[in-house]
Amino acid sequence: VSTSVLIVDDHPSFRASARRMLEASGYAVLGEAADGETAIAAARELEPDLVLLDVQLPDLDGFEVAQRIDALGGEGPAIVLTSSRDRSDFGEAVAESPARGFIAKSELSGKTFAELTG
Amino acid sequence: MSSLRRALIALGVLAFLAGAGSAALILTSDHTSPRGLAVALTLTAGWSFVGTGLYAWERRPGNNIGPLMTAIGFTWFFQGMQSSSNSVLFAIGVIGTPLPYAILVHLLLSFPAGRLEGRFQRIVVGAAYLSTTVLQLAWAFFIDPTKQSGCDNCPENPILIAGHEGIANAISAVQVVVAVFAIAATVAIVFRRWRRSSASERRVLSPVVLTGMLAFTILLAQLILGELGLPKVVEDSAFVGAIVVFSALPFAFLLGLLRSRIGRAEEITNALSAENEQLTADLRAKVEELRASRARIVEAGYAERRRVERDLHDGAQQRLMALTMNLRLARTKLDEDPAATGELLDEAMEELAAATGELRELARGIHPVVLSDRGLAAALGGLAERSPVPVRIVETPDERLPAPVESATYFVVAEALTNVARYADARGATVRVGRVDGFVEVEIRDDGVGGADPGAGTGLRGLEDRVAALDGSFGVRSSAGAGTTVEARIPCE
Repeated sequence: VSTSVLIVDDHPSFRASARRMLEASGYAVLGEAADGETAIAAARELEPDLVLLDVQLPDLDGFEVAQRIDALGGEGPAIVLTSSRDRSDFGEAVAESPARGFIAKSELSGKTFAELTG
Repeated sequence: MSSLRRALIALGVLAFLAGAGSAALILTSDHTSPRGLAVALTLTAGWSFVGTGLYAWERRPGNNIGPLMTAIGFTWFFQGMQSSSNSVLFAIGVIGTPLPYAILVHLLLSFPAGRLEGRFQRIVVGAAYLSTTVLQLAWAFFIDPTKQSGCDNCPENPILIAGHEGIANAISAVQVVVAVFAIAATVAIVFRRWRRSSASERRVLSPVVLTGMLAFTILLAQLILGELGLPKVVEDSAFVGAIVVFSALPFAFLLGLLRSRIGRAEEITNALSAENEQLTADLRAKVEELRASRARIVEAGYAERRRVERDLHDGAQQRLMALTMNLRLARTKLDEDPAATGELLDEAMEELAAATGELRELARGIHPVVLSDRGLAAALGGLAERSPVPVRIVETPDERLPAPVESATYFVVAEALTNVARYADARGATVRVGRVDGFVEVEIRDDGVGGADPGAGTGLRGLEDRVAALDGSFGVRSSAGAGTTVEARIPCE
């Protein structure tokens, strides 16, 4: 059974490329969300194994979205934060968040994603 | 020592001698009484006028007040000559005695500026001189002093044509009428001037007006009482009163004159102070305006940087990220699935073209390269071409303008055309950029719905600051239904 993924990003072109990349790597993309509230609702509803979560969203901060998804309880998905910015731009926020880790968008590939979530 | 000062000292010596001579004549007179009082009053009034007049003359050489006061003092001594037993001196004294009153009219009317104003004032002064010189001389031709009561020991009149009391009285009556007119008119003019004067002017006029009016009232009373033939004791009392007041008069003039100097200095100080306060207030407002404008420019700079960062992040950067992922995926599929790789590469090229276009737009927003390379006409042409609303460029300067002026002009037109496209609902717009009298005048006019509020958006405010930074002016005219006109005027020699 494929590992299921929810993609959260407000840029359609990125979501499309990420979906293609993840599917090519054997992941099952359950859904996409363009903002934080939609992402939390989708995580509750779809119960994905993983969430690829952009830090900058139009409504909520990615770190807050991670907190609230984590607070949903149960098994809960592993969260991978991503951004077009560098990890160092966010200071300690990544380490303090319940997310599994952070991958810069420029580094994102099936391999880096699998290494972090595997 | 200046020649003026020497002349004034000479006049002072002369006045002293004239006073002494006058006193000697009175004291040795056989037809003047009481002699002591007459000497005291003659000298007091005469020397007071000369002394204060010379002082005023020296302090304010360009003003006629000093010479007029001095003249009153000298002519005052004619009274002493009336006491002479010598018929010639006596006659000169009789003829000259009323003269200081005419000069006093002249003095009162020309105080404190030292000159007469208007025809009526000159007529009044002319009447006073007429009464005290020509008419007095005419009267003297017909008066026989030896036949006058109270002048028993007076010498004979050497210029007597005929002792004719009827003619003398008739002339005297005319004199009185003319003198009363001159005095009444002077009182009226001075009182009117005093009523209309400001507080500081009153400080100057009041001593003179009060003393002068008192003197003239007594003089008027004396003239009228004389004509009525009242007892000599009453006439003499009025005469003594007039002389006492006359003696005080020069000091009143001097006080007024000094106050006018102080008053003028105060006025100048007040005016300068008011002007200074106004300038300070203007300067403070200007500084506030500059401070606010500077803060807005700095904030606009930050806002612009945030916009550029956001545009880069949301636009080109996202496309490049997607492109990177697509290329990476294409690389992994290159061997196993060439068709899919081809599709991925096509998509990558589309992403690349879109990213390039977005970067070009962004760069143009920061600084349009066509403006620096090819000038205003080409850059405005580009704006017109890209505008969704038809734009006609009516006029542009043939020559290149200084870079800051070109840049400000370009952004005024760009922002105005953006607003036309967004809000005006216009069928078309015109752009005119011309050079007029050392200024570049920019005008963007549309035929849209109008009613734009220049204070509402930050865009127009930012343009205003940009134009103000070049010492230019910026304005928006927009009434509902009549389109909108954006204008800027930027200095450009």
